[in-house]
Amino acid sequence: MSTDFVIGESSEPQTYDVVVIGGGPAGASAAIYTARADLTTLVIDKGLTAGAMGMASKIANYPGLPEPIAGTDLVRRIRDQARSFGASFVDGKVLRVDLKAEPKRAWTGSAEYRGRAMIIATGAMGRTNRFAGEDRLLGRGVSYCATCDAAFFRDRTVAVAGNSDEAIDEALTLTRFASRVHFLNPRADFLAPEGLVDELRAHEKITVHPSTRIKEIVGDTGVEAIHVVGRGREEIIDVAGIFIYLQGNVPITDYLDGQLPTSGEGCIVVDTTFQTEVEGVFAVGDVLCTHVKQAAISAAEGVTAAIAVDRHLHGREGLRPDWSR
Amino acid sequence: MPLLDAEVKEEVARRLGTLTGPVRLVMFTQEIECEYCSETRQLVQEVADLSAHVTATVYDLVADSARADELGVDKIPAIAVIGERDYGIRFYGIPSGYEFTSLLAAMETAAAGEVDLAQATLETLSRLSTPVHMQVFVTPTCPYCPQAVVLAHKMAVASPMVQSDMISAQEFPHLAMKYQVMGVPRTVINEVTHIEGAADEPVVLEKLREALRARREEQ
Repeated sequence: MSTDFVIGESSEPQTYDVVVIGGGPAGASAAIYTARADLTTLVIDKGLTAGAMGMASKIANYPGLPEPIAGTDLVRRIRDQARSFGASFVDGKVLRVDLKAEPKRAWTGSAEYRGRAMIIATGAMGRTNRFAGEDRLLGRGVSYCATCDAAFFRDRTVAVAGNSDEAIDEALTLTRFASRVHFLNPRADFLAPEGLVDELRAHEKITVHPSTRIKEIVGDTGVEAIHVVGRGREEIIDVAGIFIYLQGNVPITDYLDGQLPTSGEGCIVVDTTFQTEVEGVFAVGDVLCTHVKQAAISAAEGVTAAIAVDRHLHGREGLRPDWSR
Repeated sequence: MPLLDAEVKEEVARRLGTLTGPVRLVMFTQEIECEYCSETRQLVQEVADLSAHVTATVYDLVADSARADELGVDKIPAIAVIGERDYGIRFYGIPSGYEFTSLLAAMETAAAGEVDLAQATLETLSRLSTPVHMQVFVTPTCPYCPQAVVLAHKMAVASPMVQSDMISAQEFPHLAMKYQVMGVPRTVINEVTHIEGAADEPVVLEKLREALRARREEQ
């Protein structure tokens, strides 16, 4: 068991001028402009391959970059540029926010972050459907955090569903406890660095099931099996736990807990400066319905919002909220 | 060998320097110590050494059973975090990993003696006429767990009827089994309702109300 000691942010954490939630093209581009405007800027992000850019193997139409570039490489370059102007990045998944507070607040599992302004750029990789049995067996073998729960599955057989680097990392964590790990990849390929995929495939405790999806999680008082389909076959695999790291295509706004109005499709509503109904809170990128899902457009929205944030923090001249869009 | 390295000590000292009142860390172990008893004892002593506001006292669960009974401590390692009064903040198991965050937060809350909960929560807690026992099961590697632990401890500070325990699921496997813990955080309220995950305050409040309703129906 770990005897490390993690210190979260103090009860009076630093207040940044801008906290950006999400470090994809929209969020990281905003950070370039806010940092360059001398605004203290913090970007909270789940990981380089956690967003839509993790799925983009080649981008050939990003202005100024004629050579095809992987989505993760493009994001890395934008982030490096933001860092060069003084922006800070932290790894973390924001679990909740308080947008009405001054300064505005965001919490990850272990830390609180504060910003005078906030930019929401969490993309649209949220899951839509739940599997049969998933909600009922949550905490009874259904988990979204192997790092948290792996120890409960010592010498048991478990499954992991996903294909990102997060899913692979968690599967490898589980091998320290579980006797066997079935890795259910809904796609034929992986959205993760090659070295990590090689490690997954080579691990003696892991069985990789490509192009395999969960149909149902089976169990009475706890997970007993998963019903999977893939490559023209159906199968029941006996497992005591299923760890789910799948993505979908709906805007990720659950952590906002209804603090911002959303459209019928779940998208955040903004004005022409990308400011939401809450003053000082902006939203850009794929969390918007009006948005065309292109990296260059996300970047442009991030830049537009960053300029609006600068104006907001230095007085309201030039800001004309327009709720027509 | 110290448990806390120089960098962590510096940060802890900085945070504890802002405490607004005294805090006592009352730790329980026994002569033949449990697996993490000696580390827990060492931890409270190292933390107490970092602030003039903090004192550490170590008791033996068996030899000092009267003190244990007074604080309702029935297993080790245990830490009671006590401010101006005993608010009912308990840690069962070593608060290592992410739970060290919860320990620091508990010390800050106990020192302040006041909490920033929503008005609806404070009103419900102020009307409590029967004891509420919140047990939050955790693992040290769970980044979501401190949110649940800190909220439960705040509720304890807000009401003398509430006792809130952090419980290390790995150190107390019999309790983890009893309460069917297969994922953390899992909060058990009065043995009757439970919450999976780090739920927001309104969700926890509703579960607390549900536990109170269940008790009334039993009676």
